[in-house]
Amino acid sequence: MFLDPDSKWAQRLNPVLFLLPALTIYIVFAIYPTYSVIEYSFTDWDGISPEREFIGWANYQRLFSDKIFWEAFRNTFVWSGVIIVINVGLGLVIAAMLARVWKARLLIQTCIVLPVVISPMAVATIWRWMYQPTGVINQVLESIGLGGFATPWLGSPDVVLYALALAHSWSTIGLSVIIFLAGLQAVDEDLYEAARVDGANALQQFRFVTMPALRPVTAVVFILTLTQSFKVFDIVWATTQGGPIRFSEILSTYMYKRGALENQYGYGSAIGVSLLVIVSIATIVYMQIQNKEDR
Amino acid sequence: MLGRWILLFILGITAALMAAPLILTVFTSLKPTTELVNPAWYPPIDMTFEHYVRVWTEGGFSRYFFNTLVISVIDAIVMIFIASMAAYAMVFIDFRGKIFLQILFLIGLMIPVTAIVLPLFQIVRSFGLLNTHLGVILADLALAVSVFVFMFTSYFAGVPKALHEAARIDGATEFQIYRRVVMPIATPAVVTTALLEFLWSWNDLLLRLLLMTRDEMRTLSVGLLNFQGTMTRDVTGLSSGTVIMAIPVVLLFLFFQRHFVRGMTSGAVK
Repeated sequence: MFLDPDSKWAQRLNPVLFLLPALTIYIVFAIYPTYSVIEYSFTDWDGISPEREFIGWANYQRLFSDKIFWEAFRNTFVWSGVIIVINVGLGLVIAAMLARVWKARLLIQTCIVLPVVISPMAVATIWRWMYQPTGVINQVLESIGLGGFATPWLGSPDVVLYALALAHSWSTIGLSVIIFLAGLQAVDEDLYEAARVDGANALQQFRFVTMPALRPVTAVVFILTLTQSFKVFDIVWATTQGGPIRFSEILSTYMYKRGALENQYGYGSAIGVSLLVIVSIATIVYMQIQNKEDR
Repeated sequence: MLGRWILLFILGITAALMAAPLILTVFTSLKPTTELVNPAWYPPIDMTFEHYVRVWTEGGFSRYFFNTLVISVIDAIVMIFIASMAAYAMVFIDFRGKIFLQILFLIGLMIPVTAIVLPLFQIVRSFGLLNTHLGVILADLALAVSVFVFMFTSYFAGVPKALHEAARIDGATEFQIYRRVVMPIATPAVVTTALLEFLWSWNDLLLRLLLMTRDEMRTLSVGLLNFQGTMTRDVTGLSSGTVIMAIPVVLLFLFFQRHFVRGMTSGAVK
């Protein structure tokens, strides 16, 4: 800036000046904690005392024999599975229908995408209220004669995880729909014309034209939904905190309990590392698919 | 033709179901307590704003709102600068180690915030930044910066190199080119960054729960969580709080829907 812009010093200094603010913050508050979480996971530490005792793989051994960890692990997969089925399956169907409609399209799309911007905390409050034993969902069931299905949604062990997954899907499916819609715009309209000439009905068109053309996009939405659902903390914490008992305990809430609330920083970090590994692998797969698509 | 109408009908129901939870929440927040015995889908007859007033003043939501606004606005503004500057260097300036930096930023796309909150808490504490807005802001920026560096990088990659060359030959410094040539044509990327970072910051709970323990520093998400914990039965208060938290982002979304849709599809990895 003050130097002659063509001088050797300016050439060397420029990239440093441009990158310094972003890099400093990024390394101190993102890269370093990532390194630390791995380091912590090999220690026994309460998060306060100056001494961190190195204990090797002990935390991971404990993890393998920890029944609650495996429950949370299983729950996280079930939770993600339900969300994937809804967001990918239903998301694709809604997008395919929306692409064929012109009237009121913006209004419909707005209604579907709007929940995406609502905070998980607000989503939790809304759905907790709707799921109450006397809440609106049970009221509706009773008024249409299906009172037998009414249940305290967040209080029943068999239902709670699915009920929460539904709430999460409500607030995220809009994202899948808009990604699918973008993919659909790239599908050649002539293919539908050809299929129609060959006598294919709407369902057959969907099966033989839309679905094959959308395979790469579907893979993207699949992995994206997977990584996003693995990272969830807010909505579960704000509704059930993993309960009743541990029926909606997922990896993030379990880590928060052990690490932040019980001050078992070493063990909590080992849970964090397991989350880190799963999400990283899924993200790498995601980026590979997207790269292939861009080419 | 009939098919189209069936399609529209199904979509209409879907849209109504998707909108229902929000509409019901607004209904409840406007009902006087006496109307709560009615089914939830009854619109408020004797509309009242008393619950909003109550939550805003006694509930402390005015302070939460202000705290959230300050953090989100600063997050968005600072993010525009640091991400665009880093991306500028990555695209227009030659230097050694660029590949290494690219990989470093790529790692940021893979790190789930959830997994690293424990050490993050320790680092923020060691800087003495617990219960400060600055601590949360720095953490927010660090955890999202790589997304926006890549967003700006791909935008800048579409800017003709010749433009940069020409400015260099005219004797402009890199900083002048950044400010006068490149940034003015990067408005779409700037708008997307501002909107997404504001949204993420506004909505986050986990970091705020961990890093802000004193009531006067709390944001809306933590405020709402605590309100929910202590006033479980205060349905009208809770729905007013929810609506207060949702209004700003819903308005932003309705005004900038196009930008949001584009940004969310490209910034979706986070």
